[in-house]
Amino acid sequence: MSYQFKWSVLWSGQSATWLLQGVLTTIELSVLAWLLAVVLGILSGALRTVSFAPLRAIAVFYVEFFRNVPLLVWMFFWYFGVPPLLPRAVQDWLFNHGAEFWAAVIALGVYTGARMSEVIRAGILAIPRTQFEASLAMGLTVGQAYRLIILPIALRLIVPPLTNESLNLLKNSSVALTISVAELTFQTRQIETYTAKAIEALTAGTLIYLVLCLGVATVMSRIERRFAIPGLIARVGAG
Amino acid sequence: MMMKSVLSLCLLLAVAAALIVPAGAQDGSLDKIKRTGVMTIGTRTGSPPFAYINKSNEWVGFSIDLVEQLVKPALEKELGKAIKVEKKESTPPTRIPLLTSNAVDLIAGTMTDTPERRQSVEFSLTFFYTGAQFLVKKGSPIKSINDIGGKRIAAQQGSTNAKIIREKKPDAQLREFPDQPAAFQALAQGQVDAYTNDGIQLWGLKAKAPKPDDWEVVGDFFSEEPYGMAMRKGDLKLKQIVDAGLKNGLESGKYFEIYEKWFGAKGEVPYPMTPQVKAYLLKQIGK
Repeated sequence: MSYQFKWSVLWSGQSATWLLQGVLTTIELSVLAWLLAVVLGILSGALRTVSFAPLRAIAVFYVEFFRNVPLLVWMFFWYFGVPPLLPRAVQDWLFNHGAEFWAAVIALGVYTGARMSEVIRAGILAIPRTQFEASLAMGLTVGQAYRLIILPIALRLIVPPLTNESLNLLKNSSVALTISVAELTFQTRQIETYTAKAIEALTAGTLIYLVLCLGVATVMSRIERRFAIPGLIARVGAG
Repeated sequence: MMMKSVLSLCLLLAVAAALIVPAGAQDGSLDKIKRTGVMTIGTRTGSPPFAYINKSNEWVGFSIDLVEQLVKPALEKELGKAIKVEKKESTPPTRIPLLTSNAVDLIAGTMTDTPERRQSVEFSLTFFYTGAQFLVKKGSPIKSINDIGGKRIAAQQGSTNAKIIREKKPDAQLREFPDQPAAFQALAQGQVDAYTNDGIQLWGLKAKAPKPDDWEVVGDFFSEEPYGMAMRKGDLKLKQIVDAGLKNGLESGKYFEIYEKWFGAKGEVPYPMTPQVKAYLLKQIGK
């Protein structure tokens, strides 16, 4: 009574179209959430290192509040919790225009942003304090010092942990299926529904995630090599 | 170099899969149940009255009673020893993998017997018969499947209903949720205009809602949903015993007592059995 494999279910019928749609949705969702996460991460990561306490407090609150609650809860929060606060007409408009997708982008972006914030803060703290003081001595304002000196160096230091967070984001995007976003995992389940071939569908999904993640990792390692600061990072076994 | 490592990784995965899948294939479920004294069933936690967690935090329901009171005695008789039924949560997307991975021996919840699924699992006799309908807020313009064009319709992921809507009404905006509570939440808040599922499940949901009178189950059955218990493909010995248990229950009337307990006038979800359904059930045992 062993399981009968039938790999053809992956390309017969509508399966291939569904998988493709799923991959595209996963990529769209991940890219948009990543952009949001990077912006929020840089902003709050930088704010955590400034000397003005209220700004630091806001950033600490953001990080601790959003990274310490499960992503699943955030998905429900943005999809079920937020819309009732809006006027009825706005709600209806949103629900007819892909509210679940945007709720997922915000949930994933805001959650990952809180995690990236710590990575960016670590990058900033790795820069000697004197660098910042020297910038001010050159006549730059605090804002200019961050924008022109501190952040560009910090961002070049943190590529490896940023890769980690980006890969996590890509994989975490599968949680969006709980609020009915038809991403890759959703579509593999769809194939399973139609064909009752669960192992084949899951294997296809697994391999696609693997390929996507390896792609991201490859691009990020190129970026890492391209932007490494000579002399600041010892390259062990480079090449 | 990258390509090479990708390839070797794929190979590794393939080997791992090949090793994992046939494990336990030779060992029939019956032998395993006899050896361990435990039958593990996969069932639901939020599908009243078939299988759900009730107010006093007990995992109960019609499907669970059928296993406990009809299948279990038949199994004990066959094996000549007392066995224990253990329950595990299973949802539409997880139930077939749970079976094929040997995590559970029997799915007893709300699984519809379909020809596609029959290629992957064995089904017992049908133990319940229903069809898809819609749950809407009272006074909704949706009265049947003909009214859902352009509307937002929630369905349960991995269910047969979603599949039918996609085929019959491609212009409806389908939103699929992994479980019933999330779908109902979406309906209650207006994310969707209607929720489709098997009629009986909608009646169950309505009965359990804080204000049952706010909700209506509408439309004729737009699908046929015979519920069966599912077993691993080729697990024919177990299937024989499960069928014998159900058959016995139908013949002795025990099945109808259990039905009355859950669906009778005083049951969890009053849902009188129609003569057609009764005839359908009895026809399976040649009556």
